[in-house]
Amino acid sequence: MRTSFTVLLISLCVGCGEQPKFVHRAEFEDLAPYAQDYVNQVLQSHFGEPTDMVVWDRLPLKEHTATATVVIDNIPSDEKVKEEEEAAGTPRTSITGPVSVRQLELDLNSQNLDIGEGTELLWLDGPLEGFPSSWVTDWDAETQTVRLETPLHDLPFNGDQVVLGPGEVLVQGRLLYAEHCQHCHGVTGDGNGPTAPYLNPKPRDYRLGVFKFTTTKRENRAAREDLSKVIEDGVPGTYMPSFKLLTQEEMTSIVEYVLWLSMRGELEYQLISLISDEGYSVEAIRERVADGESYQSIRDEFIERVNDPDEFNYEVDTIVSRIANDWEASQSEDALIHPISPRVPYTPESIARGRELYLNESLKCAQCHGEAGYGNGSQIYAVAKMKNGDDYPVPGLHDDWGNLVKPRNLHNGTYRGGRRPIDLYSRIYAGIKGTPMPPFATLVRRSDPEDPSSPLTDEDIWDLVNYIYSIPLDGYLPGQDPGASAPESEGVAVHSFE
Amino acid sequence: MKWFWCCFFTFWPILAVIVCLASPSLGWWFPGASASPLGERIDDLFYMILIISAITFIGTQAGLAYVLFRGAADTDKDPSHKAWFSHGSHELEVIWSVVPAFILLFIALYQMDVWAEYRVKDAFPQQKMRSVLERLGQERDEDSSLALAEVTARQFEWRIRYPGFDPETGDLLPLMPEPQATDLYAVNDLHLPSSSPVMINLKTMDVQHSFFLPELRIKQDAVPGLVIPIWLEANEQRTYQLLCAELCGWGHYKMKARFVAESEEDFLDYLHRLHEEQNYDRVENSEDVAAE
Repeated sequence: MRTSFTVLLISLCVGCGEQPKFVHRAEFEDLAPYAQDYVNQVLQSHFGEPTDMVVWDRLPLKEHTATATVVIDNIPSDEKVKEEEEAAGTPRTSITGPVSVRQLELDLNSQNLDIGEGTELLWLDGPLEGFPSSWVTDWDAETQTVRLETPLHDLPFNGDQVVLGPGEVLVQGRLLYAEHCQHCHGVTGDGNGPTAPYLNPKPRDYRLGVFKFTTTKRENRAAREDLSKVIEDGVPGTYMPSFKLLTQEEMTSIVEYVLWLSMRGELEYQLISLISDEGYSVEAIRERVADGESYQSIRDEFIERVNDPDEFNYEVDTIVSRIANDWEASQSEDALIHPISPRVPYTPESIARGRELYLNESLKCAQCHGEAGYGNGSQIYAVAKMKNGDDYPVPGLHDDWGNLVKPRNLHNGTYRGGRRPIDLYSRIYAGIKGTPMPPFATLVRRSDPEDPSSPLTDEDIWDLVNYIYSIPLDGYLPGQDPGASAPESEGVAVHSFE
Repeated sequence: MKWFWCCFFTFWPILAVIVCLASPSLGWWFPGASASPLGERIDDLFYMILIISAITFIGTQAGLAYVLFRGAADTDKDPSHKAWFSHGSHELEVIWSVVPAFILLFIALYQMDVWAEYRVKDAFPQQKMRSVLERLGQERDEDSSLALAEVTARQFEWRIRYPGFDPETGDLLPLMPEPQATDLYAVNDLHLPSSSPVMINLKTMDVQHSFFLPELRIKQDAVPGLVIPIWLEANEQRTYQLLCAELCGWGHYKMKARFVAESEEDFLDYLHRLHEEQNYDRVENSEDVAAE
């Protein structure tokens, strides 16, 4: 009794949490210890730990509160200062004591969070570069003027670049992530938080860099708006709830933090795959030793490659560039799916055409979703192959994360990725990334198949979208009232349009 | 020692009364003044019961203190003094059974019409509800539902279905029990007209939840398999909290939503916005494409 009481008392005083730490992928354990050290060192130096983040400027993130350019009208620009210096015969930097400038006009280049009391102001260039940061006491958005806590050491030049609140978006994002997301998605973003074991489907593991519900093209990743839409509206049919009450700033912070976790996870994933492929996994080393190499020589070779800037460092650089470019490209307007023609009106004819396409052998919709759309096509009994070529132990479709996935039952009226026409169009046009749902961009073709110069049309996709909309509604059209006569009308389904 | 116990048992009720009196100014009271006419009447009922309980509590505690101090003083004077032993007094038993019984009966009868108006569908202000729907231009007939939205609770959010607009006339359609092609959907964001009674249907997709509008004093469990009508009338055009008041699972605390009471025009505008959003196909300029 006394012991348990003491334990309780101690835990109350100490608190029950240690600092959150990133965890490694399972494959990390297969690497040789020195390879593990190298992976660790790369991740630590570029990402740090959740409570001690490193902001890496290579990543295309909106990680700062704001970035700005100093605007100084009456204070001389570079050249003027030089002239003055020449005139005075002394270099300007020799002005003794701090200049009593505590107010600065800024031209904001980008702003992600509100600037306010306590925001850090970091000098990126100009005479103040390298000096300790200044701290903001007040920001006047109208005059774009910032007031500082202490006078500046020196006068900045017009056009000096500053960063306000460096990394602040990620810091805020981490706190919000810890509050709202972490218990399912995990500290590392591996979809393995404490509540995850109770969930089906599993929470998203960000570390592949793949997100399912996007409105971007097949080859692109998720746009920021896709992520914020999922956070705002939730994913119906799963445990992901809607976080509608988050403010715009909170949403930005969470999205950036999730992207950061995703980039970190993807770098780790790619780096581990690379090192394993190069023959530094425990298993590969054993084979190499069996072939006559010595442990010591393999280790020396690895260390040599780590120290050679043209070897692993170059590879890390390539991986990061690729990740950064992919994410950046996905944010452009070109990455978004833009249907060619507006949605085809929701009419019995369009629905019937959609149904015909749905049952079309070459599109294979029914193979997974079933002829009647109950998600019970023959593919759910087929044995799928894992990435390494082995069979999955359970028959059925699997996603890139290795989870068993069911083809959607189209009768539920639940649209996980959103119910707007553009959402359904995107699901068909680009498929669902990371899952066996393939893209059907090939349905976009010449409106006149005989004439290669005729305009492109995507009306087939819209017909399919209309058919999918009609399934849970039992084929009723707007204005018709299935409510009162629902019991008698059973079986009237979509077949009535044929 | 006996004086210590006398003070001890007197101290706690006094503290309880002081804390109770101070609590409104400490923010430990209701979540703001009632924001609906029915809520005001519910508050009145609460205050009536509070006053009855307060009188009873102070009376009995004052009696207890009196008996304690009196007994202590008596035994101070004469250590062999014996207290009056009342156990088994038929008269007293009758008094303290009948008086509370009358009080309870009075409360039961007094609250009846508020309860009926709150919960019994026939006692709902149906005429007023109908006129709101007519003012919104809904295409109604005798059998059309009075509900303006269907709120479905699910682990862990509120999904809302509104009737949509007639594609031909552009008028608001009545809410149907089953989903329609024209229906409009929202999540965690309930918009309804203010200043007149409106009805919603409450459902749940999974476990039991509870629809709670603290400022409007509305709380109704959502029970699997049932469609429960609730009506509400927000006095002011503003945003209220919407919470789940039934521990529904590990994510119970995530079921925070907002209820926006707005003017009838703004409500229709909101539905039009939802309609726009829900029919968004990201084709900015269809004429341009057609011309290509």
